[in-house]
Amino acid sequence: MPELRTLSEGIFEIIKGKKYLATENLDPGKAVYGEKLLSVEGSEYRTWDPRRSKLGAMVLKKFRIPLAQDSKVLYLGAASGTTVSHVSDIVSDGAVYAVEFSPRSMRDLIGLAARRSNLHPILADAGKPDIYAHLVEPVDVVFQDVAQPNQAEIAARNAARYLKSDGYLLLAIKSRSIDTTANPKQVFRDEVKKLEQAFDAKFEILNARDLKPYHEDHLGVLAKLKKSD
Amino acid sequence: MKLEAWFGTLDLDEDGEVLESDLFSINVRELALRSLSLRDAGKGFPPAGFDLRSAALACGFVESDKEYASLLHEVTLEAAKLQVSGALTPDQRIILAVEALDDINETVNVLSERLSEWYGGYFPESGLSGEDLGRFIAKYGSRRNVDPENPLYAKAVDSMGAELEAPDEALIKGFAGSVCSLYDRRKQIEGYIESSMENIAPNLSLLAGPMLGARLISIAGSLEKLAAFPSSTIQVIGANKALFKHLRSRAPSPKHGIIFSHPLINTAPWWQRGKIARALAAKLAMAARMDLYSGEKVPSLEEKLDAKVQQIRLSNPEPPRKKQESGAKPKGKKKRRQ
Repeated sequence: MPELRTLSEGIFEIIKGKKYLATENLDPGKAVYGEKLLSVEGSEYRTWDPRRSKLGAMVLKKFRIPLAQDSKVLYLGAASGTTVSHVSDIVSDGAVYAVEFSPRSMRDLIGLAARRSNLHPILADAGKPDIYAHLVEPVDVVFQDVAQPNQAEIAARNAARYLKSDGYLLLAIKSRSIDTTANPKQVFRDEVKKLEQAFDAKFEILNARDLKPYHEDHLGVLAKLKKSD
Repeated sequence: MKLEAWFGTLDLDEDGEVLESDLFSINVRELALRSLSLRDAGKGFPPAGFDLRSAALACGFVESDKEYASLLHEVTLEAAKLQVSGALTPDQRIILAVEALDDINETVNVLSERLSEWYGGYFPESGLSGEDLGRFIAKYGSRRNVDPENPLYAKAVDSMGAELEAPDEALIKGFAGSVCSLYDRRKQIEGYIESSMENIAPNLSLLAGPMLGARLISIAGSLEKLAAFPSSTIQVIGANKALFKHLRSRAPSPKHGIIFSHPLINTAPWWQRGKIARALAAKLAMAARMDLYSGEKVPSLEEKLDAKVQQIRLSNPEPPRKKQESGAKPKGKKKRRQ
């Protein structure tokens, strides 16, 4: 009999032979990217591979994941929807605004969104947050995984526009896409400092941890907006 | 203050309360098209932190949270579909063709090597390879069927190869037929790339040749991106490994990437290649920009490039002397050895 344990709201650990990270499938019977489906006590769960998802890795790295069943999430860099599908599982009564710039990836994402009513796909450049302002409401969480050299700035500008004052920013910083030649540790220090000070939206860093061994040269960051008073 | 939302135009008072609203009708396709035009309009954005959902409920566009969510879902989905279907521009089609060509090249090499290995047991003296061998086998099958007109007739008669029995012959002939059809397909794709490049990037095709031009667009990702590249980037496109080795350590910088396949560079003596690569890349960058923004053919570009290359040849007729003897480093090494 498989054993089910809640790690965070909507995120589970299932022990069946080995340990699996999992979310409850919002679209039962269907796997999104070839992941395993497990049934426990009449509900279906999709296993979540932390090596393919930075958010999954952050769960296992003991980050507090500020997602609840009714959370509204702005997801920047949705790609083909591997991680987005799990976020959509977690916030089953909320909304995910999934921004992706590549039409090729958007093709896959549309297929996913068509089956999940809480998922709103937006084909746009996350570096220009204004252009989707007529669609996106204030959100509880901004999640960002865009692998761009100016990703801290992109996160800050989106958070300034869309994040509720008590909301959270979750991001994965890829040191190799900021500077291929520099030492990743130095890059991480600089980026964290930027988040704290450099932009109009300033952040208080709650947690910052390397995502080894699941992702090389990636830093996971959990932050919230600094009170401006 | 007036602002545009996906469901209508709103007029707000200073406290953010909706004074007036001009709501759109509930038609998913029209709302999606509006959403795309709002995106491009670049004005009337709601202020930061504006709650679209409450506003939509307050002005009666939708009656419930649920209705807002499902309508927004359909509208964003439709808008994304419209954008994706418009995304396959002519340069994207060329990129798909280039990628298909690369796959065919790889496959056809593997298969024709297999064919050569296989047929070698039956007619090792043929001396044919690649496409010629494929065509030969597809035509004759066993070397017994070679007609006396064929220059290989004598060799075929005295061959030390084994007898090709009927079932094996059918197999090999069929296989050769498949290989030949891949060669045909390759020609067809090349023809397609050449004619499309002539249409969408006449200047780039003129300077680089259609295949190299298409490859540059393919690696850049689009003609627009290629046109935005500085010429120094175009010069080393395709030499990523060497470039990053250079940036990371003290390795020498690469002189050329895939533009090496251009005859101006690969026929030049080694000491002129870097200089010619730089001149060529500069003109290619200009060509890409002309193609993107005007689309008209500018023949003077080629003349200017030729003049520049000629000047490089004249001013660098001799190979430079190697510098190794003059530096302090080698001397130091010698001393240590003693």
